Order: sequence, then C-alpha cells, then structure tokens
Amino acid sequence: MHKLWLKKPKLNYSENVIDIVQYGSSIIDGNFPNDIDLAVIFNKISLKDQLNESQDIKNQLTKISQLPIHIKSFDFYSLFDKSNFAREGIFFYGISILKKDYFSKILGFTPRLQIFYSLNKLKKKDKIRFNYMLNGKKGKYGILRKYGGRLVKPGMIEISPEYEKIFNDSIKEHISSFTIKKIFSLI
Amino acid sequence: MDKEKAEILEKTAKEYFHSAIDELNKERYNSAVVLFFKSLISLIDLYILQNKDITPSSHTERFRICQNSFQSVYNILDKNFPFYQDSYIQIMSKELAEVVKEDAQIMAEKTKIKLL
Repeated sequence: MHKLWLKKPKLNYSENVIDIVQYGSSIIDGNFPNDIDLAVIFNKISLKDQLNESQDIKNQLTKISQLPIHIKSFDFYSLFDKSNFAREGIFFYGISILKKDYFSKILGFTPRLQIFYSLNKLKKKDKIRFNYMLNGKKGKYGILRKYGGRLVKPGMIEISPEYEKIFNDSIKEHISSFTIKKIFSLI
Repeated sequence: MDKEKAEILEKTAKEYFHSAIDELNKERYNSAVVLFFKSLISLIDLYILQNKDITPSSHTERFRICQNSFQSVYNILDKNFPFYQDSYIQIMSKELAEVVKEDAQIMAEKTKIKLL
C-alpha cells in the first residue's frame, strides 16, 4: 500500500508547514509506482529552512514507506510558478496526507474526471457488455459502483482522479475512442 | 588513506566551487547550482575516503554509504540531489544556489579543506 495518508502517520513538523501532499504515479490506482512523490507546502520562509524541514519530514516518512520518497519544497509562490512542472499533478491529483483529502480543497475545489464516450458504432451485444462493465451484472458490482463513479448522462461518466487508469483501461477494452476532461467542481 | 585520490578530490572540489562562484556572479544560477553540487559531491567523497578509506563508484553507492555511516552527510546529499537532477528542466534561483553553496562549505569544514 503506497497511500501514505491511509497509514495515518504521526509526524513532527513546524507551524510553517501548510500541508504535505502526495502526488504522482503512487496516487493512481492500478499503477505500480517505483517511488512516492511528496510536496511540502510552506509559509513564506527561507528556502534553506524549507529544505531542512522537508528533509526531516522525509526521514520520518521513509520509516513507514515501502518505496523511496522524493520530496519537493514549495511556498505558494513557487507552487504556482510556471516553472513548477509538478503543478498540475499536485493540484489535480494531490492528496493531503495531513487532511486525508484532496489538496485542491484548500482552494475550495474538488477534482473530477469526466469521461465522454459513444456507443453508436458498437453492436448491440457489445453495448450490453459495456453496460455490464460499468453497472455490473447478476449482483456483481460494475466499476462505477466499485470506484464511486456516476453516470451523469448517457455517454458521460464522472469519476475521481485516482481511478483514471482503471476506467481508462476498462473502457479501452470496449471503445477505441473516448475523451477525458479534467475539471474542478465547487465543494 | 589513498593520498592521490584525496588530492584529486580536493582539486576538483575547489575547481567546481570557483567555477560555481563565477557563474553565481554572472547570475547563471542553473550552472551555479550544478557546479556547487559537483563540488559538494567531491567533498562528500573526500569525507568518505578520509573516514572509511574507500571511494564510492556511483551515486547509489554514495547514498548507501552515507545513509549507513554518516547520517548528517546523507541529509545534505539527499536534500540537494533533486536539484541536480532537475537542473535540466527547472529554473534555479539565486537563493537555491546560495543554499547548495553553504552545504558545500559545511562539507569543506568537515573535510578540513579551504575552498577559497
């Protein structure tokens, strides 16, 4: 299990730490990550102090993690900076290991993935198979119920970001062309 | 201790440090960070040589030796390494260059080397 927030780590950190966010491949269900990416978000303090405290947090978390931890330090200026290539991963997929919830909720948003697809070109039996995959069959859960997704309307489902790979792989077995849109919804 | 290896490590540490200062003064911070880090690595290897009479042959081995034997040095190495890795794709700041410079100076003190 690579989801550090589920391990309820007891961490020592200063009041300068706003949040500690796990992001990257270890967030996505169905992945086999090689490491765990963490971002420590600080109040505006010196970079030297940020790095020293992040290293201390890393040392604490390394004791409960089976995978190597890569840690990055940010304040809100560097977090939003265009040179921060991890920005989308932190905001969209990131989960606070302190609050055990999406990091984006700090801004009042919940991240969601909307998947748009069409069954028009499928044969009737393949449409039925697709429906079974989504909604289940004979008491067996489909992936929507299993992973907390919902059918918004025919041809459109909405899911949590961490299940992107599971839905992507499952849908790909039935349909070659579909689109995924990343959105933030107001809490 | 292998004196020849020690002399080489001291020479490279000084050379990288001097070049890093030049780059810092020219406000070329990515180059400065990389060069300060290289100086830092030479000094860490010198510290390992001074204390264990061996020199690591790779970053992996360097990390392993430091983690097992020199925790404070490991923290310096581990803290700075990501910036070296990201130096190709990330804009480095003057503040970061100063942080890596300071860590190189800490290692210079530990190894009893005068960098300037």
